[in-house]
Amino acid sequence: MTIPATTATAPVPPATIDLRPVGRGRVVTAYRWEITKLAAQARTRATLAVCLVAPFVFVVLLDRQDRLPKDTLYGRWVHASGFATPLMILGFAAQWVFPLLTSLVAGDIFASEDQHGTWKTILTRSHSRTQIFWAKTLAAATFATLVLTVLALSCLAAGVLLVGHQPLESLSGTLLPSGRTAGLVLAAWASALPPLLGFTALGIMLSVLTRSSPMGIVGPIVLGLVMQLYAFLNGADTIRHLLLVTPFDAWHGLLAAHPYYGPLRDGTLVSVGYILICLAVAYTALRRRDITGG
Amino acid sequence: MAVGVPAVEASGLVKRFGGLIAVDHVDLRVDVGEVYGILGPNGAGKTTFLRMLFGLIRPDAGTLRVFGRTWGDAGPSMLDGVAGFIESPRFYPYLSGRRNLDLLAGLDGGGADSRIDEVLDVVDLAGRAGDKVGGYSFGMRQRLGVAASLLRDPQLLVLDEPANGLDPAGIRDMRALVTRLAAGGLTVLLSSHNMDEVEEICDNVTIMRTGRVVYHGSINQLRAQAPDPSHRLVTSDDAQALRLGADHPAVSVSAHPDGGLALRAQPADADAYILALGQAGVAVRALHLEVAPLESLFFMLTESDPAAGFDVPAQTQPDTLTGATS
Amino acid sequence: MHRPTPGRLVRAAVAVSAATALTAALAGCATDVTRPRVEGSIGPVFANLYVQQQALLGHPGLTPTAVATKPTCHRTTPGSHDKGAGSDWICQVGWTDGTGKHQNGKFELQVRSNGCYQAGGPTKIVGPLMIQTSTDKQVINPVFEFDGCFDTT
Repeated sequence: MTIPATTATAPVPPATIDLRPVGRGRVVTAYRWEITKLAAQARTRATLAVCLVAPFVFVVLLDRQDRLPKDTLYGRWVHASGFATPLMILGFAAQWVFPLLTSLVAGDIFASEDQHGTWKTILTRSHSRTQIFWAKTLAAATFATLVLTVLALSCLAAGVLLVGHQPLESLSGTLLPSGRTAGLVLAAWASALPPLLGFTALGIMLSVLTRSSPMGIVGPIVLGLVMQLYAFLNGADTIRHLLLVTPFDAWHGLLAAHPYYGPLRDGTLVSVGYILICLAVAYTALRRRDITGG
Repeated sequence: MAVGVPAVEASGLVKRFGGLIAVDHVDLRVDVGEVYGILGPNGAGKTTFLRMLFGLIRPDAGTLRVFGRTWGDAGPSMLDGVAGFIESPRFYPYLSGRRNLDLLAGLDGGGADSRIDEVLDVVDLAGRAGDKVGGYSFGMRQRLGVAASLLRDPQLLVLDEPANGLDPAGIRDMRALVTRLAAGGLTVLLSSHNMDEVEEICDNVTIMRTGRVVYHGSINQLRAQAPDPSHRLVTSDDAQALRLGADHPAVSVSAHPDGGLALRAQPADADAYILALGQAGVAVRALHLEVAPLESLFFMLTESDPAAGFDVPAQTQPDTLTGATS
Repeated sequence: MHRPTPGRLVRAAVAVSAATALTAALAGCATDVTRPRVEGSIGPVFANLYVQQQALLGHPGLTPTAVATKPTCHRTTPGSHDKGAGSDWICQVGWTDGTGKHQNGKFELQVRSNGCYQAGGPTKIVGPLMIQTSTDKQVINPVFEFDGCFDTT
């Protein structure tokens, strides 16, 4: 063993000890590393691969079926227009797929540091908890956005390539010209981003509070299903408006002959509310906790 | 940085976990350039203290300064120039050793990434740096922990039980490494439950027991207060040897519970007694040191009932600071 | 370890239930699914789809205005006051067909709380699930069963 030149310098008199900052904590540095860590995880890659391939498999399987999935909006049109496919999947995904996809990362990104015992490893490296918190939160949001984008494009491609780009029925009984439809379909998918980020924040909060990846991942899915159940059982509408699953339906307004944006506006406000509250709770808990494990 | 600002200075530090007081009004001062040991059995509060030093746990009361800075006013930059690990170092198992160091160097900034090859060499991990940490042995992870600490080019190195889980060769290498780093002017704060380790490499020591400081001072002073070394002696005629022991007031000889005799004496007195045995025709068949003196003192300090009182006073200021390597 | 203690959880649960109860009390009468909304939606939606159906069957030129739908909707469950989601909505829809003749059909609606519904018409008047177009293609009959949505805000 040899001593590195940098540490084997001659004894330094205390008066001249150079206490220059070894490194300045920057959110962007930590963020880059969170992304690198995510990219190295099999789970993340598998999720993206599934999002890329599953829509094609889904369309092929659906094509062999005589029965149409009429209970989901646009299910009756999946053989008639390729644009119906992404909208049908969008309606279906809101039930539990979206919460699952985002919480796979958001529910784990904090708890995995507990699982590996690595909080102490990263928190002793010139970065504050605040910086690590934002880096992880941004990384989880990046993943959610990426997954949504990949799934949206893949669903649209699967529909158009395997079924075709026939005109699509609007939700008002009129036919939409195929030129505008692709844009509307993508806008409908984009409208799922605010509630998806809401579930991301929910996953982050559960991940920080429970310090357990299973809880962080399953928790948002279960809460999402409970919210669906509440809406299904026709609970009070005022509360239903405050549920995080309601904004997933906001795209309906975009597909009307005379588009309406009220649900989109309300849904975005509700989603932002969830994001703020969940992140505030998570941030406070992370700032205050004692790192005793690992 | 003013002369005389200690590397670490704790005063009145308290940490409670529920009803348990893990650290109970601890005062401690580590001067720049010394190798300082925190000694105590498991559960004495050593690790809790070090976690507070790293800002992983917030103290309930008291202050803790590192190079004069506190968490309150400096935030994470309190740890500038400080590196080390708490308990066993932990890494991301799905990344290679080098990727882990890349990550930490990235967080450190300040050109730490240019030192990666160097520190991997220092800990003899250059050959396995491309393997995932998940496949590393405990000793390799421990060494990677040292490498990760050296990346920061620290002025203060904090090691929590560095020899824990290492095989004898690993322990030897680790001690040699710490000694060499200290010789290079690095301030080292290490915790241990092993008196031997601390005695071998530390200048000053704090002995803790259930969250409290029971001794605080130099190793030399501690050695002076240690009781006589205790041996087990087997002779050709134990009864005769016991009688001869009565003629030597400087030694204490008694029947050993496991057979043979128990001999407690300073080395010079023991020598005189054993020579006397030979002259009296009693052959010495075996003589081994049972408990090293400092170790026995350590056990007395950390296992005796505090109410019973032990005559080594807990000191508030180490008095041999001039003896520190500076 | 500072995990949430049972006491904290209980307090959180109490706070959440209190908030829920308060909101429920405030919710009271306001409901998203109302008779005017249902009638205002199914009328134009059916008119549009009927125009499509007639075009498929070889009668182009019809306009939704000419179809002039007149829906009258209600819920069959007593005490429902014709509001709220449910699968018991019935709409009696009157309209004018391509020949100028007045038609009338009873549609059964499954209305969801999110403002979307599925409507099924009488096969005798609107035709079967699949219809043959004027160009001899089997296509889905747009008015046999159809979906619609209305703004709930």
